[in-house]
Amino acid sequence: MFATDDTIVAIATPPGPGGVGIVRVSGPGAIGIAGRILSTSSRLAPRRATLTNALDPVDRRPLDRVLATYFPGPRSYTGEDVVEVSGHGSPVILRQIVTAATAAGARLAEPGEFTLRAFLRGRLDLVQAEAVHDLVTAVTPRQARVAFDQLEGTATAAIGALDRVLFDLVARLEASLDFPDEGYHFIDARAAGVEAASLAARVHDLIVSAQRGRLIRDGCQVAVAGRPNVGKSSLFNQLCGVQRAIVAGAAGTTRDLVTETVDLGGIPVTLVDTAGIRTTTEEVEAEGVRRARAAVDVAAAVIVVLDRSRPLDADDWALLEETAGRPRLVVVNKRDLRAAWSPAVEPRMAACGPVLETCLIDGSAATAIRGALLQVLEGGTPIRDTPAISNVRHIDLLGRAERALRRASAAAAGGASEELVLADLEEARRALEEISGKRTPDAVLERIFEQFCIGK
Amino acid sequence: MESRFDVIVIGAGHAGVEAARAAARMGCRVAICTLSEATVAHMPCNPAIGGTAKGHLVREIDALGGLMGEAIDATGIQFKLLNRSRGPAVRSPRAQADKRRYGAWVAEALCREERITWVVCRVGGVLVRHGRVLGVDLETAGGEAGGETLHARAVVVTTGTFLNGLVHVGRRRTPAGRAGEPPSQRLAESLKALGLPWGRLKTGTPPRLHRRSIRFERLERALGDEQPVPFSFMTGRIDRRQIECHQMHTTERVHEIVRANIQRSPLYNGQIEGIGPRYCPSLEDKVMRFPHHERHQIFLEPEGVDADEVYVNGYSMSLPVEVQESLVHALPGLEDAEMMRPGYAVEYDFVQPTALSRSYEAKDVAGLFLAGQVNGTSGYEEAAGQGVLAGINAARAVACEEPFVLGRDEAYLGVLADDLTTRGCLEPYRMFTSRAEYRLLLRIDNADLRLTERGREVGLVDDRRWARFQDRRSRFEENARRVARTTVTLADGNRARASQALRRPDVELEWLARGNELRLEVAPGEEREDLWSVETHFKYAGYLERQEATIERARRLEHRRIPASFSYSSLPGLSREIAERLTETRPDTLGQALRIPGVTPAAVALIGAKVSA
Repeated sequence: MFATDDTIVAIATPPGPGGVGIVRVSGPGAIGIAGRILSTSSRLAPRRATLTNALDPVDRRPLDRVLATYFPGPRSYTGEDVVEVSGHGSPVILRQIVTAATAAGARLAEPGEFTLRAFLRGRLDLVQAEAVHDLVTAVTPRQARVAFDQLEGTATAAIGALDRVLFDLVARLEASLDFPDEGYHFIDARAAGVEAASLAARVHDLIVSAQRGRLIRDGCQVAVAGRPNVGKSSLFNQLCGVQRAIVAGAAGTTRDLVTETVDLGGIPVTLVDTAGIRTTTEEVEAEGVRRARAAVDVAAAVIVVLDRSRPLDADDWALLEETAGRPRLVVVNKRDLRAAWSPAVEPRMAACGPVLETCLIDGSAATAIRGALLQVLEGGTPIRDTPAISNVRHIDLLGRAERALRRASAAAAGGASEELVLADLEEARRALEEISGKRTPDAVLERIFEQFCIGK
Repeated sequence: MESRFDVIVIGAGHAGVEAARAAARMGCRVAICTLSEATVAHMPCNPAIGGTAKGHLVREIDALGGLMGEAIDATGIQFKLLNRSRGPAVRSPRAQADKRRYGAWVAEALCREERITWVVCRVGGVLVRHGRVLGVDLETAGGEAGGETLHARAVVVTTGTFLNGLVHVGRRRTPAGRAGEPPSQRLAESLKALGLPWGRLKTGTPPRLHRRSIRFERLERALGDEQPVPFSFMTGRIDRRQIECHQMHTTERVHEIVRANIQRSPLYNGQIEGIGPRYCPSLEDKVMRFPHHERHQIFLEPEGVDADEVYVNGYSMSLPVEVQESLVHALPGLEDAEMMRPGYAVEYDFVQPTALSRSYEAKDVAGLFLAGQVNGTSGYEEAAGQGVLAGINAARAVACEEPFVLGRDEAYLGVLADDLTTRGCLEPYRMFTSRAEYRLLLRIDNADLRLTERGREVGLVDDRRWARFQDRRSRFEENARRVARTTVTLADGNRARASQALRRPDVELEWLARGNELRLEVAPGEEREDLWSVETHFKYAGYLERQEATIERARRLEHRRIPASFSYSSLPGLSREIAERLTETRPDTLGQALRIPGVTPAAVALIGAKVSA
């Protein structure tokens, strides 16, 4: 069961980026944990927002400038002592604050657990606590999560695959203990240790990729590329809604990368304005071009800006060639000037995917570009954000599984016997099952009987 | 005959004898009803006690003051410690029994108990009024209803496979509890009338062969350990001469015969409805369900030192007799074997044990206890384990004392009671070490350290055992202190605290004690046990420390009791399905509630908030 007397933490605001995000800490240790993750020297005053820094409790590195508010129980959301930390809405920063709180002693809340506590302490009536009912009915944490996006689904599938391999290993090792005289060689401790090590490596890869996945979800990068002076910075500024990049009539005004994160239909998109790509011998500009190419290479999508008032040249075609096959939006600028060419009659443009003809001077094009870019990013299927907490939970659980697997493999290599290796494997199994769904207590035996002819 | 007792035990199998003796030792006047004095503590199937996890159960029964351990130590004819090459938590003793002597030894032990009265008669029904047991009705000598009535405050039902038992050999079906013994139908009806939930299970046994007709010289020998490890903490050393068993494998010819005759097997022609144990498949199942297996293991086990019958372990079947004959003769070395008794399958009624609390008392009938195979288990050890606890709790019920329940972190006996009463049985339940989540804690070397004091508290451990245990525990504690504070030189020349050194897999206490730095207290004749329990204690210490938090959390949940009258349906937030399941099982504690299939952690949190409020 969920303990109802410890201190829990989670992001309390809806998933996805917003202006402000709230991390909620609830339970008897809330104020103590706040003391360890906030830089304020004095104790938080009840019900008063205090401007301070959120810190990494280990190296005291500031994570974000935050407003912290202490709500003493029972007059709080959950009825317990609650500290709410409002940070800037970036999911990455909010998660870092959550991680800081867990390092300081809080437990990651199960999905819906705040509501459950509020309900248990009489802070919510039954109608408000409908979510509690769903939670009570849900058998696995996975079921308890309502929304599940594709990224999450993929990760869970990968975890599920590892979980099955581990389960099979556990079943064979258990069989070797419970059925020693059946004439089978199921597996020995050492061999199990080797398998555990390989599983640990796979779990580790998953953790690394999960973290990468977080970056993808937390902010995908979109590079704006094109020859010099085609209007990249104008486009960039219009999408940002501010004059972020310097715009000038001279080619090569943008030398370095300029970035700005914008909200595009709920997806945090980091736009990267790049130097105009052309062959050059000038040292600073050459470096700018090199960086521009690198930005284009790593971006999740590219906006290629072309100038309709001048004929397409080799640099334009080279860029279209390089970015072919990637999520891409082609923006043909300077519709207000006399056309030197037209996408409609340029036969090679037909294969270039979505093309938008526009004029970037007056700012009226922004909405159209945003819509077109969103379509490119979503690739036809809408991207939904996931409950942010699930990801932190997953990484936490995967980390536990990896450590347990490494202990199992080290123990086996040192000559420990099966039941000790199993103690660690079971711990790893429990962690993975938290994600992929719990099995019944009889599952191991069922697996053994299904695979082997056991018994006399 | 005296007709008033404190406790009446129906059945004198492995559960019944433990229950009767435990209750008698605790001061109750006990009547034990059996159909025949010749089948007390009978072994109708495998003539052996112990095995993985089962050996643990026997040790625990013994540590509490039960019978089984001493009985098998006194009458075993081949002893083997299983998993010897593996860690101490999964080592488990097993022994071939001299079946006749085993039964006689147990019967004699019970006859020595002055408070036990033998009633050789069939019980026709349990008397219940206003939800409370009053006694039992006996049948007449002619097997009719309306015999004498015996009164008691508690009744322990240990009827094994006798409730509506039906024996199958080929198409021939005979109502019987065991081959040749009539079943108990009236008693079954009487228990059903109490509203207990029922199910039907199946088990089977192999043919028995005449020893002199077997060509043993052509078979591979299977020997026991040179120095037997006893089951009982009271047995110092076993120096009996041990017998040989033999080992062989099925052949393709055997598999052909099975396949050719499969439609004549009651298991495959729809004749049997009961569910059999998957861990004990019949020969029919082995051949049909695992067609890719070329051969299966068979052991020939004598049923006693001077018994003629040899048990064909691994060859249980219910095919017609003539097919069984040809299957026996198809085995190399058994071409001329004489089949003394055919194998058979038996179907029987069992009570779904979710109707019981963890003390084995029926939730709806005060004073009615059920133990053994009637609760859906299989195995003599599982039966005896339930019997001893049912006997203790029957005696406590008579004395109006709180139930005696062991936790999952205390004993396999606790795992057994909790699994049965929380989850019920879908197939005959057998204990496995993998069922115990705290396996590292529940070892045979510490069974007495875990349980003997508990057995003493309830009054089952006698003075002799208690004195011996206290000596042994003080040696253990003293040795543990010495290991914890002594620094020793290791084989590689490094020096380390003995307690730390022992955590390494390759460091043995015996080796450390051989030098003169570490001196240990050992009792003559018990050196091995003394060293073993201290060594294991430290070997597992690191793992147990890590598990401690989990165990502690579980314990806290176990201590949160849910009143029997708790109304789940009126608890807001709980789904109807979960409320129904909880109402059906009526868990004693939050911990037990959490283990009920389908009950979620959040649901238990809701109940927890209500219970503490």
